[in-house]
Amino acid sequence: MKKDKKNSFNTPEGYFDNFNDRLMDRIKKEEAGEATSLIPKSDGFAVPDGYFDEVTPTVLSKTVAKETKVIQFKPNRNFYYGVAAVAAIFILIFSFTWNSTSESITFDDLANAEIESYLENTDFEMTSYEIAEVVSLEEMELTNILGDDFEDDIIMEYLDENVEDIKELNLDDTDYE
Amino acid sequence: MIAEETLVQELKQEESRSKAFEVLVNTYKERLYWHIRRIVLNHDDTDDVLQNTFIKVYRNIEKFKGDSKLYSWMYRIATNESLTFLKQKSKKMGVSDQELKDRMIENLQADVYFEGDEIQLKLQKALATLPDKQKLVFTMKYFQEMKYKDISEALDTSVGALKTSYHLAVKKIEAYLKEN
Repeated sequence: MKKDKKNSFNTPEGYFDNFNDRLMDRIKKEEAGEATSLIPKSDGFAVPDGYFDEVTPTVLSKTVAKETKVIQFKPNRNFYYGVAAVAAIFILIFSFTWNSTSESITFDDLANAEIESYLENTDFEMTSYEIAEVVSLEEMELTNILGDDFEDDIIMEYLDENVEDIKELNLDDTDYE
Repeated sequence: MIAEETLVQELKQEESRSKAFEVLVNTYKERLYWHIRRIVLNHDDTDDVLQNTFIKVYRNIEKFKGDSKLYSWMYRIATNESLTFLKQKSKKMGVSDQELKDRMIENLQADVYFEGDEIQLKLQKALATLPDKQKLVFTMKYFQEMKYKDISEALDTSVGALKTSYHLAVKKIEAYLKEN
């Protein structure tokens, strides 16, 4: 302990030696608005090893690469068989209805049912994602899919059964300007 | 490091866009990651939101007018994406916003990418009691060490209001840590 000759007050050993450092630390903390030591300096979050190296190619594959990717549309043998089958069905149905006098089944009924079932049951070896890339959504009109004869109540019934939350429709997609 | 104005110009031109976008991702991925992580807390969710943020930046770069810094503009997108993500998550789970926050903190205890101890867990609990804006200001200032001016652009709030929010947040967090 260091004694002051003029009075009886003492200071801890080395108090004045590091006073400047402690004062400067305190001023820095005050300036940064962090006078308190109660709040920890780190919040304890960690990332998997190598994450930041992996994320760049992932992001680029979903943005830059996607836009510049050239899709080579090479229909394989199955695709030709498929086209031939659809054509054959058309010819068959057309010739059948041409000669038929029966009015119970119309051309439209048969053609739609056959084509729908063909499309549903045939594997074109194309995922819906690939089809979506070939067929641009911007060029499509909603009426191309719905036609004019879709009743409102059919649409409402579909939405009622298949959409839990109207927000899922993403109608309020934020537009960043 | 490439100047921001040059980068923006290159991003707007088709022939230089790919290269410039790669530079952009590499420059900002870590900062945006930590910003998002402190809102959604979990690594996998942060990864999803970070990717969505960059996809939105890429799709909207033509609309960036340069009124603010590119950096603040991206922070704004990241913030909106994170908050929207949490809202959608709470709706999907059928719980309130506060209940979701409580569950997120509970999950932290079992999270392999959370290395915090008791005090850090308490800090997260304290942060969960704050209004969104106060929490954002606090984490951006305290952990990300951003300048008030940059936070002001990113959150579209005046510097004065941000300072008030920050001091209120600090007081509330301290009080919470003392009490608990």
